[in-house]
Amino acid sequence: MKAGNRMQYIKVDDLAFHYEDEPVLENICFEVNAGDFAILTGENGAAKSTLLRNILGLLKPTKGSVTLSKKNTEGDKLVVGYIPQQVASFNAGFPSTVLELVSSGRYPRGKWFKKLDKEDKEHVKKSLESVGMWAMRHKKIGELSGGQKQRISIARVFAMDPDLFILDEPTTGMDVDSREEFYKLLQHASEYHDKGILMVTHDHEEIRHYANKHIELIRKEGSPWRCFSMDSCKERSKHPSSFH
Amino acid sequence: MFLYGFMQRAFQASILISLIAPMLGLFLILRRQSLMADTLSHVSLAGVSLGLLLGYDPTWVNILVVVIVAGILEYLRKVYRTYSEISIAILMSGGMATALVLMGLNDSGATVSIQQFLFGSIVTISVQQVWMLLILTVVIIVLYSIFRKPMYTLTFDEETAYTAGLPIQFMSVMFNILTGVTIALIMPIVGALLVSAILILPAAISIRLSKSFNGVIFIGIGVALIGMIMGLMGSYYLGTPPGATITLIYIAIFSLIAVFK
Ligand SMILES: Nc1ncnc2c1ncn2[C@@H]1O[C@H](COP(=O)(O)OP(=O)(O)OP(=O)(O)O)[C@@H](O)[C@H]1O
Ligand SMILES: [Mg+2]
Repeated sequence: MKAGNRMQYIKVDDLAFHYEDEPVLENICFEVNAGDFAILTGENGAAKSTLLRNILGLLKPTKGSVTLSKKNTEGDKLVVGYIPQQVASFNAGFPSTVLELVSSGRYPRGKWFKKLDKEDKEHVKKSLESVGMWAMRHKKIGELSGGQKQRISIARVFAMDPDLFILDEPTTGMDVDSREEFYKLLQHASEYHDKGILMVTHDHEEIRHYANKHIELIRKEGSPWRCFSMDSCKERSKHPSSFH
Repeated sequence: MFLYGFMQRAFQASILISLIAPMLGLFLILRRQSLMADTLSHVSLAGVSLGLLLGYDPTWVNILVVVIVAGILEYLRKVYRTYSEISIAILMSGGMATALVLMGLNDSGATVSIQQFLFGSIVTISVQQVWMLLILTVVIIVLYSIFRKPMYTLTFDEETAYTAGLPIQFMSVMFNILTGVTIALIMPIVGALLVSAILILPAAISIRLSKSFNGVIFIGIGVALIGMIMGLMGSYYLGTPPGATITLIYIAIFSLIAVFK
């Protein structure tokens, strides 16, 4: 297990979230540090996506807080790479080639107003190769299969080379081999490049050997609502639910 | 026909509109805001009527009104995320109704010019209008070349754009305002009823012809030039309203492509 002195990227403290007045999350406490490969699991409707959107600031917690680090381990601005759930349904008519879309992953790396240089292009090429989509780079994104769309979304995030990956079921529709390959890449990124990873997934058997932290949303006992939560905030900080 | 001053101005205006339309049109289509353009053109009819009634320069009153409504639309888009058609429908009919009522209140000779604003007129394009259109075109081209990457990212997906650190709210409002100003300036030339068609059709056609984002814009400019100039000449020789003639040519191109591709 990783030492506790790693830089903290995400801290969720006693978070609760309600849609209108319907509570869907309560008592959520956990943290994700640089070098962590954390998976977030729970049944359909457990509010995993909702939790990610709270962390990203797309939704505001009803109670408690989410703290995202401002800086990365090097002291630069923290770059967050997010893959939303079901990118396969994305903007099918969007007129863009695979290469254009994946290159756009480089823009947040200080390239909003600058031309991409050789290093950027190298990154883009490597990320497309890592998901086996380099040969398809001149295809229109609307013409790809569901699994291929998922792969180029992954390539886009790899091209960005973020400090913190926030991934919502990124492997939906991908075959077993490409999934394994992807998990290996993530493990490498967290272990050797100190990246923080928080990934929603349903296949936690498969991923057991790669991840080093497991956050599970479970149904709250005795609650009439579909509330899911971590066991309890206090308990959690004593026994970090890592399984290595 | 080029000997007439008004025809020269009409051609100048057409070329400028051909440069603007694909850029705005593409973003309007991808942001699913084609209807917003329609709404703004109806509202701009009310803006013009208000200007005529108050006796101010209708162009400026119109720009002001349309910009305000464009801001309101962005707010409504956010609040009624899933029901945005309703607010659009209300504003669209509201704009038209206001225009008609204001026209009714104004019993000078203004009904003639309302006719012209509804259907557009190439005879009445003034030198001032061409200048304003030129300035707008330059502004839009400069903005596009500076903000192409942020706009691409925003248009692809607002939430990932937000997480990538873009000020998505501000960008949306600025885009709507720019659209509003463009509609206010183009409306007297092509007519309120067909402004949005003129803005959107070139991009709608070129999306089918190009694989890449930039390609859509360049091909769109070509399509727009063909449509605008042919439409203008048709309108001149046949005595038909310009907006309608141009729109029919675009639709003909669209159908040809649909058949052959
Ligand atoms: N915009 C919304 N308004 C109201 N309720 C919502 C909204 N989005 C989600 N919910 C509800 O919140 C709960 C959690 O949804 P969420 O999408 O976060 O689940 P999830 O864990 O990601 O599920 P899945 O495994 O299917 O992706 C669900 O019961 C859903 O009905
Ligand atoms: Mg989900």
